[in-house]
Amino acid sequence: MSVHELAFPRPVKARFSVGRLIFLVLASLLVLFLSLPLVALVVRALPLGLDAWLAPATLDALQLSLITASLATLIAFGVGTPVAFLLARENFRGKKIVDTLIDLPMVLPPAVAGLALLMAFGRRGLLGATLSFFGIELPFTTAAVILAETFVAAPFYVRSAKAGFGAVDRKLEQMSELLGVSSFRTFLRVTLPLAAPLLFGGLLMTWARALGEFGATIMFAGNFPGRTQTMPLAIYSGLETNLDSALALAVFLVIVSFGILFAVRAVSPKGITLG
Amino acid sequence: MSRRFNPIFASLFIFGAILFAACAPTSTAVPALTAPAPRELTVFAAASLTDAFQEMGQQFEANHPGVKVAFNFGASNALRTQLEQGARADVFASANKTEVENARKAGLTDTGGEIFTNNRLVVIVPSDNPGNVETLQDLAKPGLKFVMAEKGVPVGTYTLQMLDKMSADSEYGAEFGPTVLKNVVSQEQNVKAVVAKIALGEADAGVAYVSDVTPDVVSKIKTIPVPDQFNQIASYPIVVLKDAPQSELAKEFVAFVLAADGGQAILERWNFIPAQK
Repeated sequence: MSVHELAFPRPVKARFSVGRLIFLVLASLLVLFLSLPLVALVVRALPLGLDAWLAPATLDALQLSLITASLATLIAFGVGTPVAFLLARENFRGKKIVDTLIDLPMVLPPAVAGLALLMAFGRRGLLGATLSFFGIELPFTTAAVILAETFVAAPFYVRSAKAGFGAVDRKLEQMSELLGVSSFRTFLRVTLPLAAPLLFGGLLMTWARALGEFGATIMFAGNFPGRTQTMPLAIYSGLETNLDSALALAVFLVIVSFGILFAVRAVSPKGITLG
Repeated sequence: MSRRFNPIFASLFIFGAILFAACAPTSTAVPALTAPAPRELTVFAAASLTDAFQEMGQQFEANHPGVKVAFNFGASNALRTQLEQGARADVFASANKTEVENARKAGLTDTGGEIFTNNRLVVIVPSDNPGNVETLQDLAKPGLKFVMAEKGVPVGTYTLQMLDKMSADSEYGAEFGPTVLKNVVSQEQNVKAVVAKIALGEADAGVAYVSDVTPDVVSKIKTIPVPDQFNQIASYPIVVLKDAPQSELAKEFVAFVLAADGGQAILERWNFIPAQK
């Protein structure tokens, strides 16, 4: 090795670019792998006539999905906001357990969620007798669809809202209270607006997840057009009977989901990632 | 040493991990190289055949050392769709002639196959009978929770045909079928899903095959027989697929299914009706 080489080592850049090339290749492999099936779906669905997109079964499933997913999101907002606030702000006994419990449905197979819901709210479930005493029977109803979607999707909102409340500057709240504003009004006027981007992002994620719910729904709510057959169930049924309608619904779900995830990125503040 | 991120090491690490993952399964297979390479026979079979075919698979494996039988059970129409979309299989056993015929039209097989067994419908209710279903007439009771397989799934189509025949009978009346269909709370993907909804007690009544009342569920469900004049005989054809990777083995398996002391005996034990010879 000459003195010259010691004094002037080969530029780092050359080495760097080999690694970079490998990195780029690996990265594009994954991007290709993830996008190719979606592109294929769109390519197959594009030539479909309007009747595939506007078939009554397609529209029924679409309408049911939009309604149930929106209601599930509303429920998640109503009961998830206090949970997220408590988890973000307060210390209490069993907090770690509650925190873990809330995350659990995100990693559970939806089939497990469906079975668990049956065991709890089914006719022979833990609460089955109590519910039927009040004349409520959940399985095979639209309400069961909403419950299944809430069970699976609400954690997405709570996680995001928790991060949102955690990121709010406590000094601003203290200042508001020093000025004599009640703590509840402070929550409404200071905390909520400051956490809003992450709350909104969480709601979008929950809505998207609820829209895509399949396993828990088919187990707990069954499969009946117009009543419990949401888009994913209609896609599954259509696979064997009406592929065109299944393709149309699938493309719709892909586009909506992409739009939502993109919107979440747009609304979430820099430096904070949605979990 | 600089602690900067080094893409080369990172890449090598990732490649190493991929190589390792790719090699891992092969290394476990090394001891098998001394024995004859294991052959895998892939059988696509109607969901109703699950128990009987699993038992056949075990016997077939015992008679053919080094052979592994892999099953894919599902609604016959779903299986045919999978085959059309390029799923690799050696044998297809359907719960109706229609799907084998569809497979033939799609170029998956040259023959209509051979009928190897028959099945018939039965009405099933949970053992505690929450809907008080005692007769077939009760299926039309208002508010009853009735589950059936989707149209297109063989047992779903047979159920619709059964209801049609009953509606044509004066004892039940023309309104019978439509009334029962109004009671449907869920259209299931295959016959085993119908049985599950009844065994769980979530629905009041459903229609399945006689062979679905297996030891696993017999304590959880009661049956109401469907008289011959309304019943549908489901005929099960079996075929070797044209592109079967193990076509010789597949023929042996079909022969085993048809053999009186092989598959036929097993099917009879699982309450199937023997194929007429």
